[in-house]
Amino acid sequence: MADSTSFSLHGKVVIQFGGTGLLGRALVAELAATGCTLVVASRNRASLESLADKERKAGRTVLIEETDIGSETSLSSLRDRVVEKHGRVDGIVFNAVSRPMRAMTDDLAIWRQSMETNATGFFSTVRTFGDAMARQRSGSIVNISSIYGMVGSNLSLYAGTNMTVSPDYFFHKGGMLNLTRYLGSHYGPHGVRVNVVSPGGIYNPDAPQAPEFIERYNRLTMLGRMAEAREVAGAVIFLLSDASSYITGANIPVDGGHTAK
Amino acid sequence: MKPWHSLEEKTIWVTGGAGYLGSAITTELDSQCRKVLCFDLPGRANVLVEEKQLTRTVPLALDLNDAAGLPNALAALIATHGVPDGVVHLVTASSAGKRLEQLLPEEFQRTFDLGLTPTFVLCRAIAEKMKARGSGSIVLFSSMYGVVSPDPRIYRDPMAPNPIDYGASKAAILQLSRYLAVHYGPSGVRFNCVTPGPFPNPAVQKAHPGFIADLSQKTALHRVGQNPEIIGPTLFLLTDSASFVTGHSLVVDGGWTIW
Repeated sequence: MADSTSFSLHGKVVIQFGGTGLLGRALVAELAATGCTLVVASRNRASLESLADKERKAGRTVLIEETDIGSETSLSSLRDRVVEKHGRVDGIVFNAVSRPMRAMTDDLAIWRQSMETNATGFFSTVRTFGDAMARQRSGSIVNISSIYGMVGSNLSLYAGTNMTVSPDYFFHKGGMLNLTRYLGSHYGPHGVRVNVVSPGGIYNPDAPQAPEFIERYNRLTMLGRMAEAREVAGAVIFLLSDASSYITGANIPVDGGHTAK
Repeated sequence: MKPWHSLEEKTIWVTGGAGYLGSAITTELDSQCRKVLCFDLPGRANVLVEEKQLTRTVPLALDLNDAAGLPNALAALIATHGVPDGVVHLVTASSAGKRLEQLLPEEFQRTFDLGLTPTFVLCRAIAEKMKARGSGSIVLFSSMYGVVSPDPRIYRDPMAPNPIDYGASKAAILQLSRYLAVHYGPSGVRFNCVTPGPFPNPAVQKAHPGFIADLSQKTALHRVGQNPEIIGPTLFLLTDSASFVTGHSLVVDGGWTIW
């Protein structure tokens, strides 16, 4: 039996979907450091090459696979390539997101475009890899949602800044939470666990958010600050590892107490 | 670089540390921490230390039912052993163990007096000390029966359903943990709950196979938990792996509460 006290991902094959954003890059670095074989599936290989090179120079195993999660063929081809090369898939991290919508007033075509990736692409990915892990009788799926899948937004946070919050995000991140419970039930008997990590606002050191936003946001958390991207990785690694062998269908907010109050 | 979950150099206290869940946690912490203080009923922690040949664990008896005497007892412990880096508080799993129809008001009250008030006193006393240092992690233990009600249909005669005073006090622990997380968050002290699902001990697993089958069917993983499976969730919350996680109830129930 798996060692349920071990946080180690050493020797595991993990696929991360979405690796180019602020959180994605931090997850690549932290997951690679655990000693797993990390496959990063992304629309855009070029944007990941330098990060992957850096990790490989540090002696880590990071592979990039260009993948279109809007295409089932692309996903099943990824699955076949990974299984052929590495023999198995032990975990996936679904961190892909597309944010074409900016405002309530946007055309419905933009809403549909958002759902194509964020709803359909998400479902298609977890089904393709959930089925594959069910066949091998073990695996862990970690979906990245948001506190905005759990609570609404206080719009005064954004007043006077050029930041926006768009409605599609609340729909698909909330949906992700309950679909995770469904998937937990569906795949549980086959030994596959499905969980969610819900980060709060993440500080961007390269392109900081508006100062007035940061100040207001900090007050909403009980630790008085935004998250660092790398702090989300602890929960993701825990859920991928055998240390969480009896956890399925759960949601771990990494939000500094935002949703506890 | 040390891994996220490193407990090297840390001192952790575990109350109820020699019980079924507690002993698994204490034993693992013993191999990873600088020092562990294991509290349980008189004699029990000593037996655990001896049986498992723990080398960094100090076995102690602490009367957690004496809410009035607790602050002085804790002050003495801190004077001797220092302010802990983390605390795992498991001890409050008490109830009158009676059926709802027979439960007397004073018995209901007593469950809260034993389970809840000392938890508050202990958490406040230690968090105030951690506050001065600006860091600490306290992990409380609730239960799935603090989140959902037991289904009486799986408790077949003569077994009584898990009692109401137990569930009510476990629900209170959840709110206590959120309140304390919010209160002490600005001081860098994190509070979280582990909320276990079905973890019957080996004696129950052996004596009641039908009951175990019923419990298993109510989880998505179709099985009950075994005590090593509570270690990872507890250590996650204790360590820097969870540095931005506070006020959370980490449900370890094999999916019991997802449907």
